Amino acid sequence: MIVQAIAFYAFAAVTLAAAVMVIAARNPVHSVLFLILAFFNSAGLMVLLGAEFLAMILVIVYVGAVAVLFLFVVMMLDINFAELRQGFLQYLPIGGVIGLVLLAELLLLLGSDAIGSIAPAVASSAPTPPINEVTNTAALGELLYTRYVYLFQAAGIVLLIAMVGAIVLTLRQRVGVRKQSVGKQLRRRREAAVELKKVVPRGGV
Amino acid sequence: MAEVGFWGGYAWPALLIALKVLAIVLPLLLIVAYVTLAERKVMAAMQLRVGPNVVGPLGVWQSFADALKMVFKETILPTGANRVVFLAAPALMFTLAMIGWAVIPFDDGLVLSDINVGVLYLFAISSLGVYGIIMAGWASNSRYAFLGALRSAAQMVSYEVSAGFVIITVLLAVGSLNLSDIVEAQRDLWLVIPLFPMFVIFFVSALAETNRHPFDLPEAESELVAGYQVEYSALTFGLFFIGEYANMCLMSALTTILFLGGWLAPFDVAPFTWIPGIVWFALKIALCLFVFVWVRATLPRYRYDQLMRLGWKVFLPISLFWVALTAVVLVVFDWLPQT
Amino acid sequence: MDPHALPALLPALPELWLCGAALALLMIGVFGGDRSTRPLCYLAIAALLVTFVLLLLGPEGRTVTFSGMFVVDPFGVFTKGLVLIGAMLAIVLSLGYIRHEGMERFEFPVLIVLATVGMLLMISANDLIALYLGLEMQSLALYVIAAFRRDSLRSTEAGLKYFVLGALASGMLLYGASLVYGFTGTTSFEDIARAVSVPGATDALGTLVGLVFILAGLAFKVSAVPFHMWTPDVYEGAPTPVTALFAVAPKVAAIGLFLRVMLEPFAALAGDWQQVIVVISIASMVLGALAAIRQTSIKRLMAYSSIGHMGYALIGLAAGSAEGVRGVLIYLAIYVVMNVGTFAVILCMRRGQGMVEDITELAGLSRTHPMLALAMTVFMFSLAGVPPLAGFFGKLYVFMAAIHAELYGLAVVGVVASVVGAYYYVRIVKLMYFDAPTDAFERPIRGEMAAVLVATGVLTALFFVYPAPLLAGAATAAAALVP
Repeated sequence: MIVQAIAFYAFAAVTLAAAVMVIAARNPVHSVLFLILAFFNSAGLMVLLGAEFLAMILVIVYVGAVAVLFLFVVMMLDINFAELRQGFLQYLPIGGVIGLVLLAELLLLLGSDAIGSIAPAVASSAPTPPINEVTNTAALGELLYTRYVYLFQAAGIVLLIAMVGAIVLTLRQRVGVRKQSVGKQLRRRREAAVELKKVVPRGGV
Repeated sequence: MAEVGFWGGYAWPALLIALKVLAIVLPLLLIVAYVTLAERKVMAAMQLRVGPNVVGPLGVWQSFADALKMVFKETILPTGANRVVFLAAPALMFTLAMIGWAVIPFDDGLVLSDINVGVLYLFAISSLGVYGIIMAGWASNSRYAFLGALRSAAQMVSYEVSAGFVIITVLLAVGSLNLSDIVEAQRDLWLVIPLFPMFVIFFVSALAETNRHPFDLPEAESELVAGYQVEYSALTFGLFFIGEYANMCLMSALTTILFLGGWLAPFDVAPFTWIPGIVWFALKIALCLFVFVWVRATLPRYRYDQLMRLGWKVFLPISLFWVALTAVVLVVFDWLPQT
Repeated sequence: MDPHALPALLPALPELWLCGAALALLMIGVFGGDRSTRPLCYLAIAALLVTFVLLLLGPEGRTVTFSGMFVVDPFGVFTKGLVLIGAMLAIVLSLGYIRHEGMERFEFPVLIVLATVGMLLMISANDLIALYLGLEMQSLALYVIAAFRRDSLRSTEAGLKYFVLGALASGMLLYGASLVYGFTGTTSFEDIARAVSVPGATDALGTLVGLVFILAGLAFKVSAVPFHMWTPDVYEGAPTPVTALFAVAPKVAAIGLFLRVMLEPFAALAGDWQQVIVVISIASMVLGALAAIRQTSIKRLMAYSSIGHMGYALIGLAAGSAEGVRGVLIYLAIYVVMNVGTFAVILCMRRGQGMVEDITELAGLSRTHPMLALAMTVFMFSLAGVPPLAGFFGKLYVFMAAIHAELYGLAVVGVVASVVGAYYYVRIVKLMYFDAPTDAFERPIRGEMAAVLVATGVLTALFFVYPAPLLAGAATAAAALVP
């Protein structure tokens, strides 16, 4: 157990530290790198929980694809962060007040007796497959494609809309771009491209 | 629960694991050293040259000479480079190339960690590889390096998509994410036969993922000098170099496991089964590596737009179609693997 | 029951059909290119019409499917019908606009259809996750449509503003939903209703805080004060037919969702949310009436007008009774008709070089376009709530419900606000009839535009002659929600 505990505290501490550094780092690229570190350590936490499928998917999707593109963009941006921070102090009071209100609410919740009534008043209606018998990949699939199929499909449509939207807003047909057409290239015959000329020595073409 | 002592409970198991890790990493480094030599020899043969033949008989000590040279040269930090990231990048690259081997089954039961999401683990590791490159390119503070890194990021992310779909087809056919199970499922028929187009796509994607010819645009000598590695020297370069070849080996191992039946003998009859599985496994990897080199010696480099076109407009639709086709065939003929 | 069995698909047939139709339209568009925009618009209208028919043919009474996440009931059918009509008319109104303004891109009708799918799913949501997904589907498509004229600074600004604030609202909604889930242990509406109606659970602070956040998120979507800030800018910046769409379909869907969420899972907490709704409602009515007075752009004016109207609609919700819900539904139906008509007039405001949006451009319309001026007069008086036009009855029913629920203050504020609000509606009528004419708008008015104008105008003006079908439909729908 002690190994798990050490691993948990290590992952959790690094996640938190990295998360703090995401907003504290001066260099935006460093921020993104810290974000990636935070993702990675959260994946570690999920492994400790026994949710290895989610852990791997987190790494593949967020670290391996989303954050790469993020990093890609941030590296190419030329942001003056000193300038960006100027507004920060100006908005700090209101932001701080909102933060404090939320914090107070949370503390109120945690401190009140309400925490006792967390226990679900209704029996869980989701039949979770037995955790010890099936791998959690299979268990997730079992629920996702039966009970939650509606939500799964709806999420798919949301993503489709996002894709269509991104194309609508950014794709521009530029004029005057020469594109490769493989078919056209293959259809081209020797006769159309090459002309043989008999060159008389010292005669020139 | 019984009280476990420090030595019996923690120290010995930890030591044992460390030994196992060493037992994988050391031979691996040796193999990588000889893969580089083999590549030069094979290419030389294909181009009717002799190849390295000065250091030792037939040049067998060449790799060690190269290694020594790399270790003893000076590590140069470019001015304006981001020191931490600059040094972290090759270390990351090297580490990732090594930790992938943790889940590779070399033989029946001969695996460091037999986790049941092995394929996903490998996929995750290979998708992390891009960070080594992109960090190196950015931290070098050099145009060539940065362009190389950008190319590589786009390229690796693009080909990961089709590689992912190929893996999904294999998973559909096998019904498990565990690498040993995947190999065992191929006892009767290697998956390369029913899923041949997927095998081709996977292999080509592997070439692109490892930035090998004909997709070596991130380090295209003629355009970008050496791409993301341009500012690296000595040991830092060496780590990239080892990492790259270890990745090639890892991708070959993955191809072997997914499509070529892993440690299984090609025919399940007497003379073939006498040979231990690990030898078959090594032979199959060697075959894949040979194809890597063969491709390099044969094909010209792709242009960038062609590369993207191939990834998104050819491989992605085909692999997507095959995922659907495989699923339909499995359901219609009731061949779904029972788990 | 076999967990692998297919869920009952028949109750969700209209949504499934519309979804499939959207995908088919997308494929046609991709292969046909932007030339196919116009046929796609017609096809989209046809698809929405078929959905409407399927909706009416659907099961009677209350049916749930997809593991209880999707509910079909008369209330849903009524609201969905309104949404479909709104979306259809918005596409009809955009036909001419997209041609003149060079907006002929095939994604336009497809995105409207997809947004409509999202609205239908929203109305049918019977689970917090389903609610969120429907809402997000709708919003995401609308963000894109708002920024559809990407070369226009104002349109992109509208899209961006809508997106950023919408994302904030979604965040609040999710935060609330997670709190509710945490404190009740379920996302299903029925189970939440059961959990909060347990004696002693009504004062569970966590659920209440969650409810407040959900309320805030929903209030944003219906653009009720104090979450209304995005509305004028988005209305002004978005292409005009898109504004017409925004003014009707998403509003109806959001109010429908609002009603369902408040009256189904959280019915037992009525005492707690009622006060919030009363405040929001009063603030919306007052702000809508006062802020609209100073506007010069007709689109901004309509934005404030819609904020005010949402305030009136929320009166019915505050009443919390079946009569209140009926009032809201009647109000929404009339609101859709009036607004579509008004936007049809606004879309006719074009001269040689393009659209004009200033209110003063309407001056003297009675002399240059007498029929257009007449239609606009009908709509303006109706929006102001002048009897015997339709708008008056809408207000009448919600005020009645408020009085029966003993919310006298709310009713009084409502009446005062509508008197104040009448000022700016009447000002437009005065401009049209008593001021010197400016240049005439372009002629002729397109056929489909004229048809929409006549239809909505007649409905608005002559509603009092035969109101029975609407009243009966709304009553059935309301009875489904509040027994």
